[in-house]
Amino acid sequence: MAGCTLTGALSVACFIPGAVTVVHAPHGCAHQTFSMLHAMMNDAETKITPEIMVSGLSDKDVIFGGEGCLRQALDRAAEKKPDLIIVVTSCVPETIGDDCRAVCQEHAYAKQILYIPTSGFLGGSAKDGENSALIGLAGLAEPAEPIPGTVAIIGEKNLESEVEENYAEVTRLLHLLDLTVTVRFCRNADVATLKKLGTASCFILRDDRSSDAGRELGKKFNRRVIREFPRGLSGAITFLRETGTACGISREKIDAAVSSENAWQEKKLAGFSKLRGKSVFLGAEPLEGIFAVAREAIERIGMTESPDGVEVKPPFYLPVGVSGTMKMLYLWRRRILHG
Amino acid sequence: MRQIALYGKGGIGKSTTSANLSAAFSEMNLDVMQIGCDPKHDSTRMLMHGRWIPTVLEQMYEHKELKTEDIIYHGFGNIRCVEAGGPEPGIGCAGRGIIATFQLLEKMDALFGDVVVYDVLGDVVCGGFAMPMRDGYAEEVYLVTSGELMSLYAANNICKAIARISERSSAKCRLGGVICNAKNMENERELVEEFAKRIGSRLVYYIPRSNSVRAAEVNCMTVIEHNPESEQAEVYRNCAKIILDNTDLRIPTPLALEELEELARNYL
Repeated sequence: MAGCTLTGALSVACFIPGAVTVVHAPHGCAHQTFSMLHAMMNDAETKITPEIMVSGLSDKDVIFGGEGCLRQALDRAAEKKPDLIIVVTSCVPETIGDDCRAVCQEHAYAKQILYIPTSGFLGGSAKDGENSALIGLAGLAEPAEPIPGTVAIIGEKNLESEVEENYAEVTRLLHLLDLTVTVRFCRNADVATLKKLGTASCFILRDDRSSDAGRELGKKFNRRVIREFPRGLSGAITFLRETGTACGISREKIDAAVSSENAWQEKKLAGFSKLRGKSVFLGAEPLEGIFAVAREAIERIGMTESPDGVEVKPPFYLPVGVSGTMKMLYLWRRRILHG
Repeated sequence: MRQIALYGKGGIGKSTTSANLSAAFSEMNLDVMQIGCDPKHDSTRMLMHGRWIPTVLEQMYEHKELKTEDIIYHGFGNIRCVEAGGPEPGIGCAGRGIIATFQLLEKMDALFGDVVVYDVLGDVVCGGFAMPMRDGYAEEVYLVTSGELMSLYAANNICKAIARISERSSAKCRLGGVICNAKNMENERELVEEFAKRIGSRLVYYIPRSNSVRAAEVNCMTVIEHNPESEQAEVYRNCAKIILDNTDLRIPTPLALEELEELARNYL
């Protein structure tokens, strides 16, 4: 996902039920950003209608200052009595020097306003916007004692089409370790849930896109951070070992989980026995690391890779664990066996 | 139409000089317009007998349909006075305000006359304050400075802006010269004269310090109106005449800071 920080921040903020996001920006900025989000949400069949309001900075506000404009937008947002008002900013207020933090702090609804200074392109890329939003929202949660057996997932790609399938795969693996996800930070988690972030005994990042937030949050709450969802088949085993260790699970239990997972993987791969001996050609790699996952699957099934093989399409996103790998293999099987 | 811009350090006397020059031009039966390009919006106050006229930016955002009479006010000698205006200190973007003002004046076809005098904020702190030098507005820039180092420093910075803008093939902006608005410092005239020479220009006029300026200002008038027979009124008239006759327009060569400091030291 490309774009300025607004796109990234909104891809996080839009998935908090009960929150209203105020975009302090000209109408066009918010429109462009949301159009992109809307298109991606449609693509991912996401059925939510996020509460987004725009301050609507005009030329007049650029000249005379946009603080009044933000104040009015906060007034309108507060009328809805949301659990939280998240304020994100475009490059315009940053350029003209609006003191947005002060406006937020002075507002009657201040206790429920969270200011995230994204600053449009001045704040960096969409990735930086995502991280800023995650770090900003983590400010809602107070440090707390970790509850054993719980984990929090941080930085799920809310606009990814496989987001729920990936989550299901991760929870399947966590279940093998008797671990429960208590907070999805931030996916369809209300403010009360987000405030419980500090109670999770370990944080699991979706991938290294959220590494800045992971670092900050790990430090703030003194928690171990697992840097990404499992990459393919062997990644699932690594994930079990790393997460189990981070959560203080006994060696015996982790080994048992790994044995169970190995058996599960063999069972699933058996469904592709007809592909044994077939030759495939992978073409171009859409994202670094995808070929490693694909090649592991090729080897485990007993296939070979050759420029003369049947051209198969590698997935656009890194396949998460067994389910992601299976999804890739289903497509390959149809292509190899049925053309 | 002659389009003249006066630039210089804040407080150096640009508005006083601009207003008196405009008054002098009007005495020559010229159709004069003065545009204050500073959020302080006090450029034309002496021409308007102390009246703070509504600024273009105020009017632009308070009224949907603007007429020229909403932003152009007639002052002494029928001089058409305009104040761009701008935000309160510490908020918004004054530079953008200048750009918006020029866009509106252009749209209204309000920029006309024999002489248009632009009185611009001290430093060219951003692209907005360089606007009068661009797009064919001020073709002649006059630097108003005293012999104080910081005043010369600001003038030198403005030279940098002129030099940069002049690099563009479409640019018409050139330096007309330097006006010394004296603070009665020792060797001041010689220093400013040398500064002008070093930047590749010349001292157009030396305006001595005079109490008649203060007397006129407390009476909310230009010197030319308040005390037309005074020596100082004659100074402004002569300066206006020299500017009108000036055809020696150049691209300046700004000094390095070290050179500027050395120059100031030499005339202590």
